[in-house]
Amino acid sequence: MAASNEYRFQVNLSGMIQILSNHLYSSPKVFLRELMQNATDAITARSEAEPGFQGEVRVELTGIGEQLTMMVEDNGIGLTEADIHEFLAMIGQSSKRGQQALLDGETSFIGRFGIGLLSCFMVSNEIVMLTQSAKGGPSMEWRGKPDGTYTIRQLETQLSPGTKVYLRCTPDAAHYFEPEYVKEALFYYGALLPYPVTLRSEGVQDIVNADSPVWLTQPELAKGRKAEVLAFGGRLLGETFEDFIPLTTASGRTGGIAFVLPHAVNLNAKRSHRVYLKRMLISEKAENILPDWAFFVKCLIWTDELQPTASREHFYENEKLEEVRSELGDALRQGLSDMAENQTERLKKLIRLHALSMKALAVQDQDFYAMIYRWLPFESTRGHRELGELMAEGETLYFTTTVDEYRQIHHVASAQSLLVINGGYIYDNDLMATLPLAVQNVHTERLQPDQVSLSFTDVSPAQRNDYYDALRLADSALQRFRCRAEVKGFKPEDLPVLFTLSQESSTLRALEKASEESTELFSSVLGSLSSGISSAGYSTLYLNVNNPIIQRVLTTPDSQMTPIAIEMLYVNALMMGHYAMNRQELEVLNQGIVRFIDWGLRANTDRKGDA
Amino acid sequence: MNTEMDFEELMDEAYGLPNGTAKLGMLEEAARVADVNGMEEEAYEARSEIVETATFCGYPMKALIAFSWQLGKFDQQPERYDEETLMWSYKWILGELSSFPEVSRDKMMELLEDFGRRFKSFGYSDRSYWYYRFRIFMDLGDLEEAGSSYAKFRTMDRDFMSDCEACEQDEIMRYWILKGDDEQVLEAAKPILKGRMSCAEIPHLTLSEVLMPLYRLGRIEEANKHQQKGYRMIKGQNDFVQSFAEQMDYLARTNPSKGIDVLEESLVLAADHEDPFAKMMFYARAAQLLRRWAEESPGYRLRLPASFPYEGDPGDLHAMADYFEGYAKAAAEKYDQRNGNHHVSSLLANV
Repeated sequence: MAASNEYRFQVNLSGMIQILSNHLYSSPKVFLRELMQNATDAITARSEAEPGFQGEVRVELTGIGEQLTMMVEDNGIGLTEADIHEFLAMIGQSSKRGQQALLDGETSFIGRFGIGLLSCFMVSNEIVMLTQSAKGGPSMEWRGKPDGTYTIRQLETQLSPGTKVYLRCTPDAAHYFEPEYVKEALFYYGALLPYPVTLRSEGVQDIVNADSPVWLTQPELAKGRKAEVLAFGGRLLGETFEDFIPLTTASGRTGGIAFVLPHAVNLNAKRSHRVYLKRMLISEKAENILPDWAFFVKCLIWTDELQPTASREHFYENEKLEEVRSELGDALRQGLSDMAENQTERLKKLIRLHALSMKALAVQDQDFYAMIYRWLPFESTRGHRELGELMAEGETLYFTTTVDEYRQIHHVASAQSLLVINGGYIYDNDLMATLPLAVQNVHTERLQPDQVSLSFTDVSPAQRNDYYDALRLADSALQRFRCRAEVKGFKPEDLPVLFTLSQESSTLRALEKASEESTELFSSVLGSLSSGISSAGYSTLYLNVNNPIIQRVLTTPDSQMTPIAIEMLYVNALMMGHYAMNRQELEVLNQGIVRFIDWGLRANTDRKGDA
Repeated sequence: MNTEMDFEELMDEAYGLPNGTAKLGMLEEAARVADVNGMEEEAYEARSEIVETATFCGYPMKALIAFSWQLGKFDQQPERYDEETLMWSYKWILGELSSFPEVSRDKMMELLEDFGRRFKSFGYSDRSYWYYRFRIFMDLGDLEEAGSSYAKFRTMDRDFMSDCEACEQDEIMRYWILKGDDEQVLEAAKPILKGRMSCAEIPHLTLSEVLMPLYRLGRIEEANKHQQKGYRMIKGQNDFVQSFAEQMDYLARTNPSKGIDVLEESLVLAADHEDPFAKMMFYARAAQLLRRWAEESPGYRLRLPASFPYEGDPGDLHAMADYFEGYAKAAAEKYDQRNGNHHVSSLLANV
C-alpha cells in the first residue's frame, strides 16, 4: 500500500510565484532554463558519485489543447523523500524571511532545485514530479498546485534513477509548448551541454544539441572551422556574422568565441554577451565579463569559475571576474594583433565598421595603437581619411581639441592647404596627442584657432601705414568686445574677416554670458574669476586685405563709417561662427541693420534729388 | 562634413558618450544652439548636463559657469525647473569652489550661507550645510573650524540630498590626513577598504589617499596592493588627477620607475585640467618624483604629450622638475594669500 499524504505549504505559494515572476525571472519562458538547470545539476551530482556516467535529458510533448503536456526527464541523481521535504522547507523558510532572502541567498542544490521547479507555475497549473534517488529508497511522486496544496506519496513501482517532471500547460502559455519553440529554446539554453538533449513530439525524435562543437573545449580549434563556427554563432545569437576571434584564459576554465558584429554599434549600446556557466546558459546580457572597449563583438562565453548573482544574469564583481575580464580582453587584443600582422584586409574591414571601438582600445593601449594606427579614420582638412594616408603627406599633423575649434578654422586652413585634423570627436584628440609616443618619426601639434594666423601673409609696412587710421578706429570700436583688429592677407579671398577666439577668451565670453543671467552673488564670483584670466584673453578679428570690401572699409575717407562697418563685420563673424551673442552685441546688430537701411534709403533719395 | 546639427541630435549624441571632453563639447554646442535659437528650457537642460559632465571630467570652471546661468534662470522662474537636480549640482559647485584662488574667503562664506539658506527653504536636512562647511574649512586649512563642523554634521540626520556615506567617510578620512594622524586615517578608511561603503568614486579616491599613511606606518605590502588596485580603477580618467599625484608621491619612495609610468600616462590629463588645485598637486609630486628618478636613471628622456607646452630638453630631469615645481609653488602662493595661512604651501613641502 502506497503512503499518500496531503499537505499544505505553510506559505502563500501564489505570492511566492508572484515574487519569482516579477523579480527573479525576466519572462515565463525561463521555466525551461530552470528545468534544464535542475536536470544538469542532478546529472553533475550523479557523475561525481559515478565517474564515467553518461547523462541524458529527454523532453517529450504529448496531447493537444487542454491535454497538452510536457515531460522533462533526466537520469541524474534523483531525490529521496527527505530531499523533497528539504526543498519544500527551504521554500517555506525563504518566504518567511521575505523575498530578498529568496533572491539573495546562497542556496543548496536542493534549495535551488525547489525554487527552479516553482517557476513552472508560470506556465502550468499542476506540476507532477516523479523521482527515484540513485542512493536508493522508494520512488516518490510530488504533485503541487499554485494554491499551495501538494501531495507526496511513495510509488509502488521502482523507477530507474532520475527525475521526470510533467507540466500541463495553461491556456495562455500554449505557445511555450509548441514543438518548434521548445526545440529552439532547448538549443538556446542547452547548446553547449556535454550530453544529449532529445526532444520527442508527434512521433519524431531529435537530438537538439547533436552538433556539440569540438572547439568548445579548445577554442583555438575554431580557427580551422570557420563556416561551422559562424553558423553555430548565427543560430545561437540570431545574427549573421562574418568574422570571429577565439578567446581563452590561461587557466582554460573560461573560453569563448567573440563574434564581430556585422554592423556599427553605438558606444552606449547594451553589451549582450551570452554566457554559459558550466555549459548551461546563465546570462544573455552579461555586461561585465569583457572590458568596456569590446563593444564591437558579441560573445559566446563558457566558464566554470565565476559566481553568478541571484538573478543569474550577471556575475559578482570580484577579483576573479576582474582577472577573467582582463584575460579575455588580452585574448581579443591578441586576435586583433594577429590580424594586423597577417591579415590586414580582414582587420581593415573590421576597423571600417568598428572604428570607435578600436580607438577606445588604442587610447588605453599604446602597443595596440602602434599596430593599427594607420587604418584609423579621422576627419581632416583633406577629407575623411585613414591616419596612415594623412601621415604619408609627410608633414606636421595639426589637430584641434574640439569640434568648435575645428569649425572656426577649417575653411581657412583648407584654403591654405594646412593639414588639420578634427580632434573634437571622442578619443581623437587623445589619439593625436599620444601618436608620437606610439609611433616613431611623427610630429603632431595642437592647433588653436588663433594660431592659424601663422600662415597668414603680412601686409607691407607701407600698406600698414595706409591703414593706420582705419585700424585705430577699428580697434577702438572693438575694444568693448575685448577684441582687436588685425590686417592680414589670407585665402579664401571672398572671406572678408575671420574671427578667432583663444580658449581663454572663449571662457571669458561664457563667463560674461552667465554673469548676465545669474544671481548677484554668483555674478560677483564669476567677476572675481574673470579677473584671474589673463588679459591675453583678447579675441582677434582678422581683416582680409585680399578682400575687396575690406579694401574699401580700410580706405574709405568717411571716418564715421569705419567703426560701424567694423562692428557689423564683427557681429556678422559671430553669427557665421554660430556664437551666442551677449546683449551688447545684439544691440550692435539691431542698430547696425537699421542704420544701414537708413543710409541706403537716404542715398537713394539724395540721388533722386540730384537728378 | 560636419553640418549644423539641431539641439535634439546634439543631445542624443552627447547622451551616447561617456564623460569626457568630447561629450562636453557636444553639450556646449547644444547649449549654444539653444541660446542662439532662444530655446530657454533646452538651454537649461543642456547646462544641467554640462554641470555634471564638467564636474566629473576636470572642468570645474565650465561647471561653475553653467551652474551660475542655471541658478539665475531658476530664481526668475522657479516653477519652471526642478529644484532637486539644481540643488544637488550646487553641492558639486561648493565642493570645487575653493580650488579657485581668485574666489575670496568672504565670497566662499557668502556662497555657503546662500547654499544653506536654499537647502533650508526646500526643507532639506541641515546636514549638507554643515558637511560642506566642514569641507570648505578643510580646504581653507582652518582645521579648528573644520573640526567643529565635523562634530556638528555627524549628529544630524541624513536625507536624500546628503552626500552618500562613502563620500562622507572619505572626507572624514581626509580630515585625519590633514591632522597628520595616520592611525586615525586608517581607522576611518576601514569601512571603505573593506568594501562596506562604495560609490562611483569610492574606493577609487581612497585607495590612493591611504598610500602615504600606510607607508609612514611601514605597512608597505598593504600599500602596494592598494596602489595597484587603485591605479587600475583610475587609470586614464581625468577625474582623478589628484589621485595620480598621491600615487606618484608614494611611488617616488617605493618604486620610482613605476611612478614614471604613472607620470607619463597621466600628464596629458593633468596638463589639460581646469582645477588649479589638482593640477598644482600633480605638478608638485611630479617634481619630487623626477628628482628621485634623476638619481636612479640619469639621462632618462621623459615622454611628454604632444600638446605639452614645455620647451626645454626632456632629458634634463632636474630642469623639468624645476619647471613643475615652479608652477606648483606659484599656485600655492595664491592659495596661501587667499586663505591667510601657509596651509597649501605646507602640503607641497613633503616629509
